[in-house]
Amino acid sequence: MKERQFGVVAFKSTQYAIKADTIFNRHNIKYRTIPTPREITHSCGLAIKFNLDDIKEVGNIIEDNHLETEGIFKIIKDNEGNKAEKLH
Amino acid sequence: MKKEINATGQACPKPVIMTKKELDNINEGMITTIVDNEAAKDNVSKLAKSLGYEYEVDAKSDNEYHITITKGDKEEIEKKSDKVTKGNSKDVTIVFASDTMGKGSEQLGKILIKSFIYTLTEATPYPSTLIFYNGGVHLTCEGSEVLEDLKELEAKGVEIISCGTCLDYYEIQDKLQVGEISNMYTIYERLKNASNTVNIG
Repeated sequence: MKERQFGVVAFKSTQYAIKADTIFNRHNIKYRTIPTPREITHSCGLAIKFNLDDIKEVGNIIEDNHLETEGIFKIIKDNEGNKAEKLH
Repeated sequence: MKKEINATGQACPKPVIMTKKELDNINEGMITTIVDNEAAKDNVSKLAKSLGYEYEVDAKSDNEYHITITKGDKEEIEKKSDKVTKGNSKDVTIVFASDTMGKGSEQLGKILIKSFIYTLTEATPYPSTLIFYNGGVHLTCEGSEVLEDLKELEAKGVEIISCGTCLDYYEIQDKLQVGEISNMYTIYERLKNASNTVNIG
């Protein structure tokens, strides 16, 4: 299996995740609403997955819209499983 | 033995029924069904596929398709059906009866279903078939936010079928973006033959 990396924003509550989904939808950015990866345990069940190249824009969207997060993470998937690294 | 069935001008699901009846009548041989539209062509082909028979489609024109089905010996048929259940997919059929997951908040339901379909792409073995009917057909059509995931699943060998009656009812038959159009016969067959059926929606 090839190593894969992507960014994930985890939120303080489902309400913020739903709000984030609506807001991200309005922006020209590739994102996906996903179940929060198991490696990030301390948060609500929904998260936003994004391309790490867009991290700056993602950060701006979160700040501008006062979305309360549990953090922004980098998820690394490889043969040994998934690893999460907190970026922000 | 060779036989020809002219099913042109017959409304769905008549061509499938006519073909099935003839196939049941013979022990082995070839049956060519002639139909005049693409949906009928797909449905007759699917019938052959689901029965484990070899078939060939000859598109004579936009409104004339010849589907030739070969009914061979049983051993061969069983070998083929074995292949379907082996490999990367599990004999599970997942049914999407609406474009939201669960009842309560529609907004939440829409997000949950996106998240659920994404999860399907991440967990192996994959299900063998995904069935979409009633409001569920919105998920396989233009404007759906899960198309990318569904296409990925299809590329991995997951069968994706949308109810033709439903697409027609919502007038989105031409908006289908992934998988195939099917009828109640195929839907029932998949539900009946799967060792496990999961209902979502």
